[in-house]
Amino acid sequence: MAMTDPAPVEATVLRVLSDVLKESIGDLRAQPVLATHDWDSMASLEALSQLEDRLAVTLDLRAYHGARTITDLVELIESSANTTRRH
Amino acid sequence: MDELLEYLGSAAPGPVQRHQLAGIDDPATMRRAGRVLADLPAGSDLRPADVAVLATCTVGPFEPLLRASLVATGIRPTLTIGEYGTFELSLAAGNLPGADPDVAVCLLDDGFFLRGDWSAVDPAALASQLDGRLGELRELVLAGLRHTSATLVLHTVPMPAALRDTVISQQARARLGSAWYGLNAALLDLADEDSRITVVDLAGELADLPVRARDERLYRYADLPYTDGALLALARQVARVVQARSGLSRKVLAVDLDNTLWGGVLGEVGMTGVQLGGLYPGNCYAELQRTVRRLREQGVILVLASKNDTAAVDEALAGHPEMVLRQEAFAVRAVNWSPKADNLRAAASTLNLAADSFVFLDDSPFERGHVAAELPGVAVVAADGDPAHVVGSLLRRGLFDVPRLTETDVKRPELYRSRALRTDFATGFGSTEDYLGALELRVVARPVTAFDVGRVAQLSARTNQFNLTGVRYDEAAVTAMSTDPAHLVASFTVTDRFGDEGIVGAAWIQRRGQVWWVLNMVLSCRVFGRGVEFAMADWIMRRAQGAGAAAVVGRYVPSTRNGVADGFWEKAGFTPSGEDGTFTVVPGTVPSCRPTWINTDEGSDGHD
Repeated sequence: MAMTDPAPVEATVLRVLSDVLKESIGDLRAQPVLATHDWDSMASLEALSQLEDRLAVTLDLRAYHGARTITDLVELIESSANTTRRH
Repeated sequence: MDELLEYLGSAAPGPVQRHQLAGIDDPATMRRAGRVLADLPAGSDLRPADVAVLATCTVGPFEPLLRASLVATGIRPTLTIGEYGTFELSLAAGNLPGADPDVAVCLLDDGFFLRGDWSAVDPAALASQLDGRLGELRELVLAGLRHTSATLVLHTVPMPAALRDTVISQQARARLGSAWYGLNAALLDLADEDSRITVVDLAGELADLPVRARDERLYRYADLPYTDGALLALARQVARVVQARSGLSRKVLAVDLDNTLWGGVLGEVGMTGVQLGGLYPGNCYAELQRTVRRLREQGVILVLASKNDTAAVDEALAGHPEMVLRQEAFAVRAVNWSPKADNLRAAASTLNLAADSFVFLDDSPFERGHVAAELPGVAVVAADGDPAHVVGSLLRRGLFDVPRLTETDVKRPELYRSRALRTDFATGFGSTEDYLGALELRVVARPVTAFDVGRVAQLSARTNQFNLTGVRYDEAAVTAMSTDPAHLVASFTVTDRFGDEGIVGAAWIQRRGQVWWVLNMVLSCRVFGRGVEFAMADWIMRRAQGAGAAAVVGRYVPSTRNGVADGFWEKAGFTPSGEDGTFTVVPGTVPSCRPTWINTDEGSDGHD
């Protein structure tokens, strides 16, 4: 599988989080720590579902919940793109 | 899609937006739509319904998916979600979420049936466990029904792959599969125990969809066994139940011919050149015709809407050896070169049905677009693309679903053909009264029995025009009132020289001391213009007089659709009471309002 281009991954992550958390992309960039938003279990699972669907990856839930910032999330997806496949 | 979501956030969706919503297969988009629709603005013609959800697992995304699916079918839902972990208690105590829901959805998962550990070398014990849990569920459901008039919706449960594959003996695995299919069959059979139970086949539906049923991570982490795709499939099935229960079923299928009911253009290739029957693609068109015929068998009225030469079409319908749908299958045949929207409008007028009773199936995007623009209430279904998919496109939204078939449903296509014959018969009479007199109209009135409950509840749900108060009584309410001495629920059957229309009218009456209150009265638009409503009022007054009632009180609550009934009570001899749209008469003090051309018969009484 080709390496996933980071820029589209970041753009997709921001778009999904913006939709799920009802925050503007600008606000998310300004405050990238997920816990500072309404990042509860239902929001995080909705984001997971959308991210996996749009970016064609399957994430390890332990690692996903370990992501503290949006940057962590982008890095997790980028690394997962080369090491996981959809179940 | 963002445009649609933006619209949904600002205004109640009309038919166009609902059609778009119904076409969305992406669960993430439907989930977003469901979230936006949580603040649904007032207005529009959405039919309100209180829907409760109780679950053996986490409800999670099912809530927004269900909301979006319900709105797509024309429902304005008020959703109430039960607390996590209260499934059994809610049913056992008859304490459903919400005050008095119209529908309660039971979201089930395999965990409910598989309690504790089980042995892979003893499939019989596992089967016995499944059977035991099913029995407990049955008891809970029946207990729940004792405290509510809601319709309970359950579903079959897909078998987890891990359960199946844990058993390594292929013989034992087959036995396990048999037990699981037996569980689902028994779940489906619950619908036979009470008319308020509906069971949808989620497991069967998922077998036909390109979505995974389960996500083990979400199950282990949040007790969310199903994927969003599976939950959307279930939400759509539930929405079909609520849609049918709310009287939003479509009654008419208007179909095109060229490249829809057969392949090719008749005017170009002639009758012998059209593709119909035999090998692909002709077999696809033959199957579509058989499907349409089966819909007709179940009461769907067929309208032919084709731009063609009439003679060529008549010849093909009568003479093609593979033709399944002959001329007599169609209540209205609009074969001409006029715009199809005009033809559908005329067909709606002939049938005396609203355009939102229609489904239009056509291969031409132009024709579909034109009909959608001119008649937004019509449900438009595309018949272009590979003809092998058209049957699926026609059926997949469940537009014609009804809770159960009544005798009148089955007769409906013939009744509407009789209507067309009646229109022909009408020519040649000097006056309307001469014509009505020659029709030999007969109204049979009687208190409803258990046999009539389904049809009377259906009339209540579906009748919008001659519906005096807008109060709708479902099967449970009709059953309760028909067996209560303080109430009288009457059905009215109409026959004439062309046939039996079946039960076309109903009245719900409450006896309050010496006063009879007509809570509502409905009459199918199929028999408008014949004075049947006055024969009904006359029967009620005579019945009240016979029972010694001092007064009969009726009410008219205007709506956007019942203008046809405005002034009805006064014409029937009632006097405005000055209170909130009520009208009163002392039975026996006014001349009979029954038209001279109608004979009224007393049907055999039930309990009354």
